[in-house]
Amino acid sequence: MPVASAVGIHHPAQTLKSSSALPATILEDPSRSLSQESFDVYASYQRILENEEIATPLAAILALTELIEHSKAGTMFELVKELHDAAEILKRRTTNAISLNAGTELFIAFVTLFPHESDSFADLKTELVKQGQKYAAEALTYRSKISELALDFIKDDSVILTHSYSRVVMQTLLRAHKQKRISVYVTEARPRGLGVKTYEALTAAGIPCTMVLDSAVAYVMDMVDFILVGSEAVVESGGLINAVGSNQIAIIAKAAKKPFYALAESYKFHRLFPLSQYDLPTHTDDILSFPRHAQRPSPALTARPSVAPSTSSNPLVSGHLPIGRSKSSTSSSQLAMTPEQILRNPKVDYTMPDLISLVFSDVGILTPEGVSQYLVGMFAG
Amino acid sequence: MGTAPEIANQRIVEALVSKLRRRQVVGSRQTAIETVLVLRQVISKARFSNIEHLIQIIKAVGRRLVQAQPKEHTVGNTVRKVLHHVREEYHAVSRAGPSSAQPPKSSFSISKFVSQGQPRKQNLTLPKSEARSTSLRENDPDDPDSFAKGLKPVLMEAIQDVLDELETVYDNVSKSARDHIHSDEIVLTIGHSKTVESFLKSASHYRNYTVIVAESAPSFGGHKMARSLSTAGISTFLVPDSSIYALMSRVNKCILGAHAILANGGMFAVTGSLLAVSAAQAHSTPVVVCAGQFKLTPLWNLYHEYGALDFADPSSVLGFEEGSLVDKVDVVNPYFDYVGPELINVYITNDGDHPPSSVYRLIKESYDDEDHEL
Repeated sequence: MPVASAVGIHHPAQTLKSSSALPATILEDPSRSLSQESFDVYASYQRILENEEIATPLAAILALTELIEHSKAGTMFELVKELHDAAEILKRRTTNAISLNAGTELFIAFVTLFPHESDSFADLKTELVKQGQKYAAEALTYRSKISELALDFIKDDSVILTHSYSRVVMQTLLRAHKQKRISVYVTEARPRGLGVKTYEALTAAGIPCTMVLDSAVAYVMDMVDFILVGSEAVVESGGLINAVGSNQIAIIAKAAKKPFYALAESYKFHRLFPLSQYDLPTHTDDILSFPRHAQRPSPALTARPSVAPSTSSNPLVSGHLPIGRSKSSTSSSQLAMTPEQILRNPKVDYTMPDLISLVFSDVGILTPEGVSQYLVGMFAG
Repeated sequence: MGTAPEIANQRIVEALVSKLRRRQVVGSRQTAIETVLVLRQVISKARFSNIEHLIQIIKAVGRRLVQAQPKEHTVGNTVRKVLHHVREEYHAVSRAGPSSAQPPKSSFSISKFVSQGQPRKQNLTLPKSEARSTSLRENDPDDPDSFAKGLKPVLMEAIQDVLDELETVYDNVSKSARDHIHSDEIVLTIGHSKTVESFLKSASHYRNYTVIVAESAPSFGGHKMARSLSTAGISTFLVPDSSIYALMSRVNKCILGAHAILANGGMFAVTGSLLAVSAAQAHSTPVVVCAGQFKLTPLWNLYHEYGALDFADPSSVLGFEEGSLVDKVDVVNPYFDYVGPELINVYITNDGDHPPSSVYRLIKESYDDEDHEL
């Protein structure tokens, strides 16, 4: 299973090359000639993403920074056009582009509004590149800022529920563990099963942790003190876009009157305003559609024994959803969805702002209404 | 360091600290006014050669005062407000001076770009220093006091502004009273809040209406309130707390006071407020809170820390005469309730009316981020 970044969902088929991705070393890499005909922004984006610490919006910003370095544009207009084109390329080649969009839009808005005091355009470009790298270096500290802020809200003997795997939530939980006693429930987060990653990391750190079936969240909710999730993007309405299942958890939390906290770095603020799940850019007509005509289940489509990626040590893994009849019924097999069926399911969902108690960000603790204030300020000049 | 001004400073600060610790200062507004006076003394006697030094001095004083009485949030709020004004005046003066010839470069960055998104108060009142064009030299080795001498008059005026705002709180809150209360309405209130009292009295000049006052046992602040309102000619009913729910169907609106307004839009208010507000919600009665802006606290409610509430003398709940019970029963007498933002409809402050969801914006405008932790 290729290394995956936090909550950002990438197509499992993407292969990642290996090399370092610290901002400082990109500039000094001698193997890239600066006179390349076409700068492959997608390749550099993927290379940057190999650094586990860097989230998709940051990687996008860094990739665009590299583009400016290589750009031969002579005017601002050309440069901005190149940036837009590059953003388009990145968008087209990623399956889930929401957080990527957040990063590219932020950077392009910044470039457009940057005051030009430089004498030459080349100076301006160098300045922009420097700014981009400076921001990326600073942005790596955001997660610790957020975990400090969230620390006050975690009291001793808290029982926390979290969803899937999120780097910022991990950092917060590990930070809290240093001073307080916490226990964590983590959902499996099918189909990617990233919850297992969280479970293993927390157990290794000595935090009591139990995995919860996605369908058992309502069952466990009364035992939980509050919910902590990371984010793909925080949108203008104050709502949250995160791995599928977050909306479900938020609704159950509201019904059980438990606080639901979202942790999001400020580069994930995105200027979308979805009115429903189906307004998300990731929603296509394929998702959760009915088959066009009743078809006899072909061998490829019937439920097969589970192919869950988790380690065998975890008995709670592997959902159970038979559609069609299982052909092989060995005693140890569990029924599971086929990959084609899984593809027809959404990967991210949208949580409405009234279900979210607070958003913790490096710019401060915000109520969901407060988020739009920042977005308007950023993008409305 | 034992120079004369610093010793005098310490004496003034210690006097207020001991008053706070012994709870000899009563009332949020009174506390705020005393804090401002102490800060004014401290700043006028302080010796500093750059702005950072001054801010450190003020913060140190603020920390001592807050530690003396942490439950009295207006102390911290006033210190933060003064710091905010100090910074504002300083920036205005240094902008006007010759140092503004250098363009403010290199402070621009993407992270600043993001955080610019936070609202800055539109300064309708120009900082006083724009009128002068004195140039301030920080850390001048020849004349270390020149910076202080140049800045102090300006700061004194700014602090006077804060003081004026505090002194006119009641008048400003009551300005819109007649628009909020209509003739022949029945209004419910709890305990004795001076802000609410002046609000109701001001409305009574224009309207005829009735007030139901809940007595709020065991402190019985409601008794004082009822007496004061009826002397002002308002028809008043004094009722026990238990009948709040029963009477709520006849009540047109709830007008309450607040002890502190928190950053999420919730508030700490006198015990019994949560009861009244829940009853109001069940009857869809609007809840209006009257409070001065000096009560805005940039703290989030860590309400799960039970100790965040203040506690009063438990003997008024269960006296020590009940000797046999005293051992077996845990008696608490909390002084404040936490009321969540979803239960309140509007805050009427001396600077206008605001819904709870925009309290965070008011806080961003009145205080600086770096002052949240003194």
